Amino acid sequence: MTTKIIELGPHQLALEEPMYFRVQLDGDRVADLDVLPGQVHRGMEHLVMRRNFYQNITLLERLCSLCSNSHPSTFCAAVEEVAGIAIPERAEYLRAVADEIKRIASHLFCCAVQANVIGETALFRRVMEVREIMQRAKEAIYGNRMDLAANVIGGVRYDLSAEGAAFLARQMEAMKQPLDELYLQYGNNPALLVRMAGVGVLPREAALEYAVVGPVARGCGIDYDVRKKSPYCAYDRLEFEVAVQEAGDVRARNLVRLAEARQSVSLIEQCLKGLPRGPVCADTLPEIPAGEAIAKSEAPRGELMYYLRTDGSDMPVRLKWRVPSYMNWDALKVMLKGEPVANIPLIVNSIDPCIACTDR
Amino acid sequence: MSDCIKLTNDDPGKNPLSLRERVAAGRVRALPRSEELVTADALTPALSRGERVPEGEVRDGILTGFITKVAAAMTCAAGEETVIEWRRDRKGVLTGWCWLPCGESLLPAARAVAELKGRLAMVTAYLPERGKEKGEREIAYHFDLDGATLTLTVILPLQWARVPSLTPIFRNCDWQERELMELYDVQVVGHPDPRRLFLDHSLPHAPFERLVPYSTFTNAATGKALWDKVLAGEREDA
Amino acid sequence: MHIQAEGTAIKPVRLFRINTGSCNGCDVELAVTSAVTEFDVEQLNCRYTESAHEADIVLVTGPLTVRAREEVLRLYAETPREKVTVAVGVCPVSGGVFRGSYAVDGPLERYLPVDVNIPGCPPRPQALLAGIREALEIRHARHEGGEPKRAPGDRKQSDTDNFPARGRLSFDAGACVDCRMCRHVCAAGAIRFEEGENGVRLTLWHNSCVFCGLCSYYCPTGALSVTGDWRLDHPAAHTFRQVERGEVPYAPCAGCGEPIIPAAPQLLHDAFRRPNPDIERLKSLCPACRQQMSIGVPRR
Ligand code: SF4
Ligand code: SF4
Repeated sequence: MTTKIIELGPHQLALEEPMYFRVQLDGDRVADLDVLPGQVHRGMEHLVMRRNFYQNITLLERLCSLCSNSHPSTFCAAVEEVAGIAIPERAEYLRAVADEIKRIASHLFCCAVQANVIGETALFRRVMEVREIMQRAKEAIYGNRMDLAANVIGGVRYDLSAEGAAFLARQMEAMKQPLDELYLQYGNNPALLVRMAGVGVLPREAALEYAVVGPVARGCGIDYDVRKKSPYCAYDRLEFEVAVQEAGDVRARNLVRLAEARQSVSLIEQCLKGLPRGPVCADTLPEIPAGEAIAKSEAPRGELMYYLRTDGSDMPVRLKWRVPSYMNWDALKVMLKGEPVANIPLIVNSIDPCIACTDR
Repeated sequence: MSDCIKLTNDDPGKNPLSLRERVAAGRVRALPRSEELVTADALTPALSRGERVPEGEVRDGILTGFITKVAAAMTCAAGEETVIEWRRDRKGVLTGWCWLPCGESLLPAARAVAELKGRLAMVTAYLPERGKEKGEREIAYHFDLDGATLTLTVILPLQWARVPSLTPIFRNCDWQERELMELYDVQVVGHPDPRRLFLDHSLPHAPFERLVPYSTFTNAATGKALWDKVLAGEREDA
Repeated sequence: MHIQAEGTAIKPVRLFRINTGSCNGCDVELAVTSAVTEFDVEQLNCRYTESAHEADIVLVTGPLTVRAREEVLRLYAETPREKVTVAVGVCPVSGGVFRGSYAVDGPLERYLPVDVNIPGCPPRPQALLAGIREALEIRHARHEGGEPKRAPGDRKQSDTDNFPARGRLSFDAGACVDCRMCRHVCAAGAIRFEEGENGVRLTLWHNSCVFCGLCSYYCPTGALSVTGDWRLDHPAAHTFRQVERGEVPYAPCAGCGEPIIPAAPQLLHDAFRRPNPDIERLKSLCPACRQQMSIGVPRR
């Protein structure tokens, strides 16, 4: 068999963002893979040390637009931990609402892109149209379709009026039927089954060895969700089941995402129902003492971790974060091994890779 | 087991104070402000004060057992000098902060974490406050232990810092270490693939060592040039 | 006539995208303009192409990272000479929040000529369409050998719609107490204060602003506010004129005669239904103390 090495870029990989792969082929099958990141490296971990805590809220929201809310909310949680601030209960719920809205939109985008990759254009457009319900909700409540600007140190900077809550509840109602329908489609539609079932398999043991996170891990039967394992915000008071699938293939990852999106609808409804009265933010501007803290959250792509170190000034001594995508690239070696070249774009997109997050 | 023996020979001449004393005196780092600061010796009373522990005492019992187990494993692997503290936040989430006595204790400690089924979550290198004066830097290895986070911190010299690669133990340490090597002046010994990862080849090595002065190596002048044009345009209009 | 009309219908204008290291916000919104009927670029007789050679309009996103530069310039060199180049989002124009990083090499204009800017972070799809329309006008004018139809610089009215998108910031100098909290919290370095002869001047550059509204949130008097005006697309020649500004005049201090910034009490009470002790205190403080009061911690 002939071995050869090909380079693939964003165009061949059907990615929105620039990322390059060096793929080693055995005949027409993938043998090995080298991921070449860095195109979107903006030196953000360096920038955050040159900006004060307030500026970093907005800067971190621009890390990645798909999980843009997870970054400021987790960063704020780390600052609050160092400062010993307990955010108001209402803010805990409102942070969860913002995170879940973003989760639905993010998961749908991932599923849409995959439909596009396999040439199911009608389905692609359908999923994007369903996602628009969320986009409109975001814009109406937060003023932007991607970057919500929901978080501040000490709580949130938006509130839901009775009207706003009713509007959001209506949007959630409108999501239910389409999400249920999409779950069935991605689970059973023969055209999708042919392309997605049994493709890009990551066995459970490999998933553990490569230490993947998020829907990629849960698609391999690993029952891990930060919202359950290390509760934060309002998640210790909300009911939900961790979505798990066993097969470890492309289909399983998508079913995890769609199940989670549907669950997010329920989480938002629970938040709206249980929304406690009171302030949405601690009312004094906090002083941030010297200290260090770790904060974690379940971003759409999985476990997100922040480490903050402060020295009593208004800028971090160090702010380090690890995004979920960072943990999942390496496992592509297992998923792609032995797969035909034609399957590369689909499998790559099935881990919902975020390059802006990875490169920082 | 041989690791345990090797690790106890911390160089006493170099650090006249014990690690515990250094941590307590705030010379290693500022003590974190916390909900509950729990030391491995006095676990039970501190933990039972926790709020919102769903399964009540049963859970406390498990927690105490867990903390004792982890503390014992770390001390066995990294030596008696090892300092470990636990914090529990309002939701009951545990974070453990473990200071290793020396660089050599990193490998055995990491192996012990692997045996506890820990998952490497993140590696943070940093220049601590007053690190320059003391000639020290630190690297923190954060592990997930089924929802709890355990951080192993090693203190290294500012110059010629070296750490063993943990990639042979935790495969996902690969990128973390490649990134660390390009951003800081730290050598990772035994890394299987020490190429640059994110940094373009045209950029100087180890930008994170150079926090100040910043403008000497970045295009910080861009902002000024742009603003000059904005303000000039404005004067024209006015 | 008939043939001509058919001709344009068959040959759509080709849009080509280049990502120079963006947060993907602008790119995801551009994807919407090819997937969602309401925002589809087909309504402008445009279509996306994957081939640089076919580009009639080049849409560039991101702050131009050092690492991406080579590939970006290679792709750009492959595009036809007579294309129109559009900077999408504030990143390519000013670097946005990423300006000043060692890894960022923008603004884009340093390397290639830009024709149209679409401020936003990210711009909503309606704004993207408006910007593309502007690029089409330029393209049309170039083909005809004339000027774009719309007189440059005229203020366009935003379409009225139900969604109060976070748009252009507006500044009311009369309510400003010069505490400079807005500048302090602005991640994008979009706000400048200059001390002049007669007062203190605030300049907010819309091509650097990322429309987060944090300045307005922390402004103690409501001098800065977020408007719903999102129609900010403009020819690149006007890049540096996209500003909001105002001068807060000095008045002699009643005590020592030093020129100070007075804090108009009526305005403060207008802005806050109940008198607020913080505001009352701000009134009696000199600017240095006001900065201290708002910002608190010493700056490093
Ligand atoms: S302008 Fe804003 S949304 Fe667009 S790429 Fe830049 S940071 Fe992202
Ligand atoms: S809205 Fe205000 S704080 Fe945010 S970027 Fe614009 S000027 Fe800066």
